[in-house]
Amino acid sequence: MFNLLSLIFRYLFILIIYLFILGIIRLIYLDIKSMSNVMNHYPYLKLINRKDSLPFKIKEVYTLEDTITIGRKKENNVAINDPYISNQHVQITLDEGEVFIEDLDSANGTYLNGDRIVDVFKLKNGDRIKFGQVEFLYVSNEVCL
Amino acid sequence: MIKKVLSYKMPQNLIFLVNVMALLLLYFYKDGFDKFILTSGILLTFIIYISNFMLLKTSSGDHYIFLIMTMLVSIGIIMIYRINPSYGFRQITWFGIGIITFFLFYTVTKNIRGLEKWTKVYVVLSMALFLSTLIFGVRIKGAINWIKIGGLSFQPAEIIKILFVFFLASYYVDREKMNHPYIFLGVVYGYIGFLFIQRDLGTAMIFYFVFITILYVFEEERKLIYYNLGGAVIIGVLSYFLVNHVRVRVITWIDPWRYIDNKGYQITQSLFAIGSGGFFGTGIGLGHPEFIPEVHTDFIFSAICEEMGIFGGIGVILLFLIFLYRGFKIALNQQHQFFKIVAIGMTAMLGFQAFIIIAGVIKMIPLTGVTLPFVSYGGSSLVSSFAALGILQVASEDIYLEQEEENG
Repeated sequence: MFNLLSLIFRYLFILIIYLFILGIIRLIYLDIKSMSNVMNHYPYLKLINRKDSLPFKIKEVYTLEDTITIGRKKENNVAINDPYISNQHVQITLDEGEVFIEDLDSANGTYLNGDRIVDVFKLKNGDRIKFGQVEFLYVSNEVCL
Repeated sequence: MIKKVLSYKMPQNLIFLVNVMALLLLYFYKDGFDKFILTSGILLTFIIYISNFMLLKTSSGDHYIFLIMTMLVSIGIIMIYRINPSYGFRQITWFGIGIITFFLFYTVTKNIRGLEKWTKVYVVLSMALFLSTLIFGVRIKGAINWIKIGGLSFQPAEIIKILFVFFLASYYVDREKMNHPYIFLGVVYGYIGFLFIQRDLGTAMIFYFVFITILYVFEEERKLIYYNLGGAVIIGVLSYFLVNHVRVRVITWIDPWRYIDNKGYQITQSLFAIGSGGFFGTGIGLGHPEFIPEVHTDFIFSAICEEMGIFGGIGVILLFLIFLYRGFKIALNQQHQFFKIVAIGMTAMLGFQAFIIIAGVIKMIPLTGVTLPFVSYGGSSLVSSFAALGILQVASEDIYLEQEEENG
């Protein structure tokens, strides 16, 4: 009885081990895929600075799925702890497929392609947005907008 | 229902299934109805399920490493149980303690701030442990690396491993702490020297590999790496001629068949076992892994190869590879410099340990006695691997930088 069972189970054990490995690889694959999926559907801001040159926590990519505010306070959608950034620094608005940037009376200002902005501006693909010590590249995914 | 359980989309269920099947199989083993098997099996399945669930709730970090590890432990426990049921039962107890250690280290490491500033504490603690091993140590199987307190014996080297990684990490976070890089190198070689005195060659090798890995990744003065590699070659060659212990290992590696009756017995038996397994193995309980001395600790991989076949063995290696992949991924994503280095260190430590023993038993490199992490029988080894895993789990989460708090 035991011998027979063991002979059958040896195939089953190997099968299950490999299924398990497959399962883990699939989960990892989904993980990576979901990250790149988001980037293909929404406009996003890409960090131009080298990430490790900045002494605070920042992500490489911020997707713009909805209107967001950027600033130093934790209440902002994107909180960047740069001392040169104001508590509420800049707002990026999504309106009917178009993206606008607005400076929220920050102390050190926001620069769009090198010029300080005072009013609301419409963003177009490839714009460089600089505030504090960080600089972002705006990438729009025209297909979906 | 069966389809859902068997589905590879839920890896937790597969672990559950392996355990249930093993339970069923071991129930018929040696046709003895044993209440022990039933209780221990149910206990094991229970522990695995609860801890996986708890981790999903508490940790925002990586959930794969824990899953991979539970699979490895399950395979290990099945094999150990089959070799010796009383060892198997003890291993399940150790597994329980290991899980507690995992959560303990996870919470402690997560909540203590400023771990990177304690460079000297790590060095002093490890040196104290080394000295106490030399003074109170008991010689077991050629190496003086056990301390006995009451009825319990443990290997201090297992704790020192973790301290060593912390020490390396804290040094590379702020290099100014050690006045000169040569003082740092002196301390590192002090560690390896102590292990050499204890004749714990396998662990010395692990320490050295971890050290070189971290040096290679983080050292800015690239010349130091070449000096260290050159130094290692010289030490290796010298120890071959001067230390009998090392020479024996190398000789039995080059040609074990000439010494099959004594020195080479273990390694040749291991090769026989792997060879007799074939692709799918003899089936659990139908092989003779007990011919290999120390099969439940160092040679567990040969036993797996014999009874679960080469495919089973490759499965174990693949599990370790995925684990390494996750470990490096964690290190790459981590912003906090200290935990970045710790993540690389812990991954490298477990990875090299697995490599050294697997390559040793298949006669790819000279054999040194270390345990296969998570699979081998042994309390200290299992608990320290769990501690390393707990720290890796912390490293997989977002850690807010201290500078950030100061700025805010």
